[in-house]
Amino acid sequence: MKNILFLSCTVFMLITITGCSSKVETSKKESFIKEEQNINSYEPIDKSSFNDEDEFLDSFGEELEIEKRSDPLSGYNRVMTNFNDGVFEYVLAPVARGYRTVVHKEIRTSVGNFFHNILYPIRLINNLLQGKVKNSADETGRFLINSTIGIFGLFDPAKSYFELEAHNEDFGQTLGFYGVGAGPHIVLPFFGPSNLRDTFSMYPDSLLNPIVYNDDRGYNLTNSYGESLLLQAYERVNYVSLHDGEYEKLKKDAVDLYPYLRDVYEQYREKQIKE
Amino acid sequence: MKKIYLVIISLFILSQNLVANEQLILKEHFLNKINEVIVIVKNKTLDKELRNSKIVNTLTPMFDFTLMAKLSLGKKWKQLNNSNQDKFVKLYVERMKKSYSSKIDAYSDEKIEVTKIKQPKSARMELITNLVSKETKLEISYKFYKPKNLKMDKDSWLIYDVVILGVSILKTDKAQFTEFLQTKTIEELMIQLQSK
Repeated sequence: MKNILFLSCTVFMLITITGCSSKVETSKKESFIKEEQNINSYEPIDKSSFNDEDEFLDSFGEELEIEKRSDPLSGYNRVMTNFNDGVFEYVLAPVARGYRTVVHKEIRTSVGNFFHNILYPIRLINNLLQGKVKNSADETGRFLINSTIGIFGLFDPAKSYFELEAHNEDFGQTLGFYGVGAGPHIVLPFFGPSNLRDTFSMYPDSLLNPIVYNDDRGYNLTNSYGESLLLQAYERVNYVSLHDGEYEKLKKDAVDLYPYLRDVYEQYREKQIKE
Repeated sequence: MKKIYLVIISLFILSQNLVANEQLILKEHFLNKINEVIVIVKNKTLDKELRNSKIVNTLTPMFDFTLMAKLSLGKKWKQLNNSNQDKFVKLYVERMKKSYSSKIDAYSDEKIEVTKIKQPKSARMELITNLVSKETKLEISYKFYKPKNLKMDKDSWLIYDVVILGVSILKTDKAQFTEFLQTKTIEELMIQLQSK
């Protein structure tokens, strides 16, 4: 009885030790495994190698299954994708490039921080709606620290000194969290890829957005719809200036721009909702 | 009777250890490769083209681009004749390498941390990593499989998909190609790939 206990203990120890041992030994082990595989590989030769390959490729099938997305608006979406692409290439990107050469990066980062900080109500409410208590507390901590020590949110000491990470949530994610499907894909003018759920969600989020002008609301950062639009456009330019070349790089991998951007958007949103 | 239980338990512990060990080996190997790449990136004496080709050569043994090419076509792959299959794989691999090189150009002092290792099947592993820069964190997951037979000049675990912020490169390609081929031919697709 004791013998077996001792034996199993030694075996366990041995494995643990070899597991932690130097790389030389692991590479030896690897080559041993490789040899073993080579020996095994001689066995299935009598079978047709084509069937093997088919079976092997099929084993990835499930994982790479593309969800059939309803796309009744594809005709319109294609046109709008080209429109947005043009707006980006001929208006937004050149303006952002000019802005970037004039304004120092530190300042642009601070402007980005300021806009991010001011959108705290959207993140807070949507974290709360999804029952994410810790994230809500993090966000509140971030808002308090960055609005005070961080001078109206221009800096992000909450992250650099207090290690509080932002938790971006919007109403589209909240709906997705409760099982609302994406619905048909819609490309919005200027805003880019979206879907029915996320387009609808822009309204509740806009009520919480201090930048968006709203007559029915007591507090407004801007005095009119025009000013509000201007501020939003500025936010966009500032964002693009900080993410120089990213869209262009993303676009390079596209064979056909519209379905490519659509899939990237939908996969990205699914991931955000799962988190 | 007790002895049997003990043997079973020790075997169980043993097997757990082996699995964990396999994951650690892969993680270490992956991080070593990344470090090799970072050394090349930081070597300012190399010109851009030489640097990128060196990086691609370092990483190629870890990727199974050929498999990616096959999988990206889905069921269509089997319908291609041999010469088209070869041509498509070549074009796809070329495109992948180019795309990777252009992404490396954007590199500036980010760090890569492995946050999680998943092993859904014995021959599949997923390394979930964070690309951490001063301002942001980017989740990139590398999906590996273990081929039955070791391939020439290749590692024992090979990457067949890279998922950036939930967006799978392979899935996106597959969706694109499938849609493209609904109205156009494989020849047109190859011309499109060539022009990129």
